Amino acid sequence: MAAGCAWRRLWQGSAFPFHVNYASRFMGRQCFLLNNDLMGVRLAGSDADTQVHKTNPLVSISDEPETLYKRLSLLVKGHDKTVLDSYEYFAVLAAKELGISIEKVHRPPKKIERFTLLKSVHIYKKHRVQYEMRTHYVCLELKHLTGSTAAVYLEYVQRNLPEGVAMEVKRTKIEAIPEHIQKPIWDTLPQVEETEVKS
Amino acid sequence: MAAPVAARALRAVPWRCAHPALSARHDLHTTPACLKTRAARVRVGKGDKPVTYEKAHAPHYIAHRKGWLSLHTGNLDGEAGAAERTVEDVFLRKFLYGTFPGCLANEVVLKRRANLLVVCLVLVQNLAPSKLYFLIGYTETLLSHFYKCPVRLEVQTVPTKVIYKYL
Repeated sequence: MAAGCAWRRLWQGSAFPFHVNYASRFMGRQCFLLNNDLMGVRLAGSDADTQVHKTNPLVSISDEPETLYKRLSLLVKGHDKTVLDSYEYFAVLAAKELGISIEKVHRPPKKIERFTLLKSVHIYKKHRVQYEMRTHYVCLELKHLTGSTAAVYLEYVQRNLPEGVAMEVKRTKIEAIPEHIQKPIWDTLPQVEETEVKS
Repeated sequence: MAAPVAARALRAVPWRCAHPALSARHDLHTTPACLKTRAARVRVGKGDKPVTYEKAHAPHYIAHRKGWLSLHTGNLDGEAGAAERTVEDVFLRKFLYGTFPGCLANEVVLKRRANLLVVCLVLVQNLAPSKLYFLIGYTETLLSHFYKCPVRLEVQTVPTKVIYKYL
C-alpha cells in the first residue's frame, strides 16, 4: 500500500511519465523503497509551495469545449491468453490510477480459424494437415470520459501494447441536440382550424 | 506405399480347428509407418545428438510448452498483413544466419511493436566482442534502411549452445 501511495505522489509531482513501461510495476516497488528518503525530502520542503508554476510543455490549455465520451470500448485481441490477462491487469490499474470509472471488463469467446491443406506437394489426396489460429479477446469498457482524459489514457495504454496484441477502440460521443430538433414540430406549426366537410 | 497395401491384402483368415484352445490366428500387423508426421520433429536416435529446447519439442507443443518465434498481429482475426510479415521474417532469419556465422545458439525471436522491429538473438561467444559490436551495429543500420522502420537488436551471449537433452 505504501508503494502504491508513493507512486501516486510521484505522478502529482512530476510530468506524466509516458516512458513508464507496464513491466516496471514490479521494478518500481524496489526503486521506490530506495528513493523513499529523497522523496520525503522533496515533498516536505518548503520549495514545493513557493515553486513557481512552470509551464509544462506536455500540458496544453485550450478554450474550446471538451468532447465528452459516454463510453470508450477497447477490444484487445491476441493469440496468447496469459499475455492478454496481464495486459488487462495493467490497463485496469492505469484506469484506476487516472480515476476513470470502468463499466465492465468481459472476455468474449475465442475465435478459432481452421483450415485443412494437403500434406504432400504432389498427389496423396487422402493425407491432409490441419492448422488453426486462435484469437482471444478481452473487452474493456470505460464510461464518462472527457476528450483529453481519453487521449491521455489511450496514448499511455497503446504505447505499452505488447507485441502480437492488437487493439480496436470504439468511442461513443455525447453531443448536444441540434437546434432544429430542440423543440417539437407540433408546437411551431400554425394552428389549423377545423372546418366541417360536407359531402 | 506399396508395402502396406500388400500387407493389408495378405491378412490371413483365422484358422478354425476342432479344438478351440489350439486355434491360432496368423494376422499380419499393419504398421502406420507411412502415416507418421515428420514436421519439425527430431527423431529419437542413439542418445548422442544434442538438441536445444526449441528443437526438442514438436509443433503441437506451441502455446503449451513452446512460445512463438515471430510475434505480430498479422494472423489475428480481422487483421491484415500476415504474408508481408512472413516474407520479412524469412529474409531476416536468412540474413542473421549469414551475418553471424556459426554464432546463433537458438532460433531468432522477432517482435513487432507498432513501427519498431525488435530482433532477439542468443549468440555463442565465438567472435571477439569488438567484432560482435560492429556486426550488431551494421545489422541494425542496414535493416533499418532496408525496411524503413527502426530495428533494434537485443543480443544475449552464452558460452556454448544450451543443450536441453540428447536424442
